[in-house]
Amino acid sequence: MLFNEWLKNNSKIVLFDGGFGTELLRRGILEPGKLPDILNIEKSDMIVEIHKSYYDAGSDMCHSNTFGSTPLNLRTHSLEEKINEIIEKALDNIQKACPPGRLVVGDIGPTGKFRPPVGNASSEEWHSSFTTQTKLLEKGVDLFHIETISDLEEMLSAVRAVKKVSNKPLIASITYKKTKRGFFTIMGDPLEKCINTLENENVDVIGTNCTLGSGDMLELVKQAIDMTDMPISVKPNAGQPRLEGTKTHYDQPIEEFVRDIQEMINLGVKIVGGCCGTTPETISEIRKIIDLI
Amino acid sequence: MLLSQEQIFKDMVDSIVNLNEETAIELASKAIKDNMNLLDVIEKGYAIGIQKVGELWEEGEFFLPELMRGAQIMQNCLDLLTPHLEKGSEKISRGTVVIATIEGDIHSIGKTIVGTMLRAYGFKVFDLGADIPAEKIVDVAIEKDADVIGVSALLTTTMFGQKKIIEILNERNLLDRFKVILGGAPVTSSWVNECNADGFAENAIDAVKLVKSLLDK
Repeated sequence: MLFNEWLKNNSKIVLFDGGFGTELLRRGILEPGKLPDILNIEKSDMIVEIHKSYYDAGSDMCHSNTFGSTPLNLRTHSLEEKINEIIEKALDNIQKACPPGRLVVGDIGPTGKFRPPVGNASSEEWHSSFTTQTKLLEKGVDLFHIETISDLEEMLSAVRAVKKVSNKPLIASITYKKTKRGFFTIMGDPLEKCINTLENENVDVIGTNCTLGSGDMLELVKQAIDMTDMPISVKPNAGQPRLEGTKTHYDQPIEEFVRDIQEMINLGVKIVGGCCGTTPETISEIRKIIDLI
Repeated sequence: MLLSQEQIFKDMVDSIVNLNEETAIELASKAIKDNMNLLDVIEKGYAIGIQKVGELWEEGEFFLPELMRGAQIMQNCLDLLTPHLEKGSEKISRGTVVIATIEGDIHSIGKTIVGTMLRAYGFKVFDLGADIPAEKIVDVAIEKDADVIGVSALLTTTMFGQKKIIEILNERNLLDRFKVILGGAPVTSSWVNECNADGFAENAIDAVKLVKSLLDK
């Protein structure tokens, strides 16, 4: 399996794609309040084009446009009955764009439902929701990425669901907030506890993405690298969004972002990419520095 | 042994900070039974407790679950105490807030947390939910005689609805009647200025401070 070979190859740095939702916004394809996942059906050509632009920029592997395609999240958008069609089209779209020798990553995002006392979701509900999504993704992906999860409990439900359904490699990425006492999820799980827990669950790669810009994520990596020997994956945001007129801008210069990514690679990070606000241009610049290593 | 009033207030504060609902409710019931001044009970006891919960959250000691639990316990104590307040002291309500997530946006968690915290701090809150048209938010604010309208938007594509609220108020000559505050990840102070809103808050604790300061003016 190619991904496992990449993991074993010490000189290989794996390059993810960049932001997808923000790329849809930047290109003016996403209407207000609309779930990006439905565009797999409604605007499949555009979705294929974005995937292709990331593969062309040098991504080794890209995410399917299924970040929000759990039954729980689709229900909020009254789209639950379309789940089969959404995921089938998503796989079709990314497979059309994926060149030989590159990989398709099944993207799994949060359900949007919190456990008490914040919301009323249960672990069983999460587990069943992630199981349904994984089963539908399994046939068309090379590996899975559970990402942007802000509650370790929800992550555990997702990891166990994926591992029950599939033997394919799994990257598990949590999103952290920076506090005066260090990096924590918004639910209060500290970085070290998250890393130890994911190690015990036998995921293949431990990751972090979103919320933090590249500077803060670099700081997080400096701590994380001493906490585990497992491969680490990072996908920071391109700074914080700024609204001008009707457009959202991410002002962080690409050079600064790429410099931070370079430093994270130097520290030992195995997989790099970008989250909100990063573009094919960002990925192309990261490709250049990886090719120089 | 009779506890001093100060000690009882301190126990009330601790019950909220320690998220101990059983003790918090027991102390509230005892305060009613003992004919304590219930306004003092709220202001010197429970309100200080929830304020400390907010401080611990700001310090990164508490996280979302503790913040929400603290607010819920506070709310349950208020529900128990309020019917026993002397007539005329209903003024315990610091003001009325109508809160909603704007049309096209289904994100409700942040808005719900703000609503819960405002209630815990003694505001009367009408939470209309998510995906609510601007016209409806304004209509309910008029109907409930609100002091503050709070509008949340989590998407850069829906935050224009926040501006629409101000435009409707302007058209109806109601700008002076309400304070309008904005919330949500993409909201910045320059957006607040562009909308001509009265302020924005980055989190639930800041939202409470903002509403307090706007109504104190």
